[in-house]
Amino acid sequence: MPLAQTATSVPVTVNKDLCIADKGCTVCVDVCPLDVLRIAVTDDGTKTAYMKYDECWYCMPCEADCPTGAVTVNLPYLLK
Amino acid sequence: MTALFEEFDDIADLALGLDDPSPGTRIMAVIDLADSADPAAIPYLTLATSDPDAGVRKQAALALTSFDGPMTAAALVIALSDTDPAVREAAALSLTELKDPKAGDAILPHLGHSDEFKLLSCFAGIKELRRAEAMAPAITAFSHSSPVVRVQAVGVVGWLQDDTSLTALREAAMDSDPAVRRAALAALGFSKSDTAQQALIDALKDPEWLVREAAAETLAKSGSASCVPALRSVLTDDFWQVRLKAVRSLGKLGATEAAMQIGPMMDLDVPNLRKECAAVLGELAVPETRAFLLPFENDTDPDVRKNVRWALGRIDKAAA
Repeated sequence: MPLAQTATSVPVTVNKDLCIADKGCTVCVDVCPLDVLRIAVTDDGTKTAYMKYDECWYCMPCEADCPTGAVTVNLPYLLK
Repeated sequence: MTALFEEFDDIADLALGLDDPSPGTRIMAVIDLADSADPAAIPYLTLATSDPDAGVRKQAALALTSFDGPMTAAALVIALSDTDPAVREAAALSLTELKDPKAGDAILPHLGHSDEFKLLSCFAGIKELRRAEAMAPAITAFSHSSPVVRVQAVGVVGWLQDDTSLTALREAAMDSDPAVRRAALAALGFSKSDTAQQALIDALKDPEWLVREAAAETLAKSGSASCVPALRSVLTDDFWQVRLKAVRSLGKLGATEAAMQIGPMMDLDVPNLRKECAAVLGELAVPETRAFLLPFENDTDPDVRKNVRWALGRIDKAAA
């Protein structure tokens, strides 16, 4: 039986068009208490934030503090 | 010679980013200026509150939370009239963080503003600054059409803790909106005068339980032995929340004559109330109430058990 070794989706998603990591912003990375967000260089050479480790507590500061509203935390149905 | 510490006088350098054509860079400049914690950044952040991009303006309004004083307040008051609701909300939030009474200079001229949002944000901002000049406009706003504004205005007067406002607060305690009445009653807590006490006693008959609860709670601060009969009358209130505050206030006022009325309330199926009753019975330490406490020594609720055992200990000590 094949096993899925990698997650296909993570709770924290970042809108690359809005993210200003390229300008030096690291707000979401800095506020995450579990330190699971990182800045990545995308294919076109720009930078964007992304969720590196899926260990979310759903505490929301990354979404609330993002200066451009680029971060979305998808709350699981049972937490809502 | 190499300096021991890096020269850190680069506010103007950080502010250069505010002239960048990209809003993202300007936002980063605002964040960097706020992180500098240097008051020299305030004029630049003030400029950023009139940026063409709403995101930059919002960030600037939020960034001003890190600073205090009249200049910060002036910039925030202007931002309260922004076209973007998110900027207005951010400015209103930052205004409530001000601590320097001098910052009130910029807010005071707007305490009669016609815009409801601006008016209520200014009242919320000036409240903790405790400026005596805010008293008259706040009392005027007691007759404002919006209850949200009236609640904030009552808050301003409550923080000023001035006996001359008692008559106005007493009238506000009879407002048509329960939230205003509740705020006014809580605001009366600073005074031990007969006016305050009578307003609180009258409010114990209010049709809204939230108002009765506030009155019962505040009587612990404003009341004297003469309000004990009124507090005892709400020990049979329909809402246990009101009874709980009345019990607590009777305990604080040391009303030993109410102990035999509080004792039978231990039977009620509300652990929060049993806990409070046990604590107050311990506080009053009337030996006759021992029988009411004994059956609850092993109550299912750990907080009740703890308070009952403590109360029994106190009663035994008093009797010894």
